[in-house]
Amino acid sequence: MGETETGGETLRARHVLEYPFRRSLGPILERFFTGLTEQRFVGSRLDDGRVVVPPAEFDPVTAAALGADRLTEVGPGGVVTTWTWVGAPGPKHPLDRPFAWALIRLDGADAPFLHAVDVAQESAMRTGLRVKPRWAAAPVGSIRDVACFEAEA
Amino acid sequence: MAELCGIVGIGQTKLAAKRVDVSMPGLVREAADRALTDAGLDWRDIDAVVVGKAPDTFEGCMLPELYLADALGAPGKPLLRVHTAGSVGGSTAIVAASLIQAGIHDRVLTVAYEKQSESNAMWGLSISAPFGVAVVAGAGGFFAPLVRGYMRRSGAPDDVGIRVAVKDRLNALRNPYAHLHLADINYQMVEQSPMLWDPIRLLEACPSSDGACAMVLAREKLAKDAPTRPAWVHATAMRSEPTMFAGRDAINPEAGKQAARDLYAKAGITDPRREIDCAEIYVPFSWFEPMWMENLGFAPEGSGWRMTVEGATALDGDLPVNMSGGVLSSNPIGASGMLRFAEAAMQVRGQAGEHQIAGARRALGHAYGGGSQYFSMWIVGSEKP
Repeated sequence: MGETETGGETLRARHVLEYPFRRSLGPILERFFTGLTEQRFVGSRLDDGRVVVPPAEFDPVTAAALGADRLTEVGPGGVVTTWTWVGAPGPKHPLDRPFAWALIRLDGADAPFLHAVDVAQESAMRTGLRVKPRWAAAPVGSIRDVACFEAEA
Repeated sequence: MAELCGIVGIGQTKLAAKRVDVSMPGLVREAADRALTDAGLDWRDIDAVVVGKAPDTFEGCMLPELYLADALGAPGKPLLRVHTAGSVGGSTAIVAASLIQAGIHDRVLTVAYEKQSESNAMWGLSISAPFGVAVVAGAGGFFAPLVRGYMRRSGAPDDVGIRVAVKDRLNALRNPYAHLHLADINYQMVEQSPMLWDPIRLLEACPSSDGACAMVLAREKLAKDAPTRPAWVHATAMRSEPTMFAGRDAINPEAGKQAARDLYAKAGITDPRREIDCAEIYVPFSWFEPMWMENLGFAPEGSGWRMTVEGATALDGDLPVNMSGGVLSSNPIGASGMLRFAEAAMQVRGQAGEHQIAGARRALGHAYGGGSQYFSMWIVGSEKP
């Protein structure tokens, strides 16, 4: 709903548009998010043998439907394949102190996925760093059930 | 036209209030798999994919065709999205057909869908932007005055809408895919249902549905070898007009009349009521059956309601309308237009099961959208045009 503002040469009005939406995950992604609540990473094997996480419902090359028989557990540890440093986190970032966004290839997977890595300083980050998940205290079935990754001891 | 276009595969999901068992990609895939199976084809056989869906604001999924690409076997292939509000399922099929007719592709998969249970269709089309005219009525509130205007203009009896609502729900009982299966539907039940937007009662309005529809279209040389005989596209037409302009007749819109005239001219039809065997048209509120009978030229202006009252539009009438149960029995908005087009094709292929019109050789599929302003329609036949 708009409220009219004056003061310029033309009239202007604010316009805020909001709708509630829902999503159903379906039988494959449901397993990934349920897995997170159990501190497990569930991926799937594509027709060409590659393992991806989160799991794919449909093969991106052959278009085949990938059933539950293709699901496979990966991780929980993994390796940083590339990263960038966030020196001044904003209010919506997952950590309130400097951290890295990293592509992390979980053990057993062939493609990386994005998450935050909590290390003390930028000099501690490097491609090839071994990392493990730090799980959130109260899982809800969200990617945020992984609070962040941290360097393996 | 460089090529004739044949419909060689048709698929639809079970239409239901909530399909929480599948994701959006899973929903469209279900229809697409069935269309490919019907066509006896595999994903490798498809050259391009055309996706139709109502506005992105419905589900809040931007560029849904990209989100759905893997589910529709589209990586590496031309992938196009069509959007014309409620008529989109029809115009999507027309765009897909034009890719065949123009000789651009050999086989095209076309899919339309809506997951109303996860969307906000009530207001997705009615954004009240500043300094604009806010309708703030939803579809029923917008169309009710048009129905009232039609009743006054035509002098139709008050219960024509009730009769349409009963007929379409009886037809739906013959269609296993229909959302509403009201086994005990009758005149009194509709008459006594709550008045939602006077003169439209609850049971004179469409439900909200989840569902998808898909078709495989092919050029003549490939279509004639299909496992089930194809439906041939005889003519297509689309027209649009603004929601509001001075002198607009929103009850009998000019865009719809022009589209129908264009369609019949292309198909060589001079007397549509005699030359078309059955029609599946977009009737989300019961009174739109008589209104569209006039707009489509099946009845002179002011007398469309007589077709309903005399039973002409029943399954055993001279022009059966909405054999599948229509939008009144299932409304996955983005898919609803394609379901109308697909039903017309199923009829001329002899695939309509318990709602088959015996010997249907030429059928009309019709869709409209927005404020009665976007129209798409096609005529398909069992014989080549």
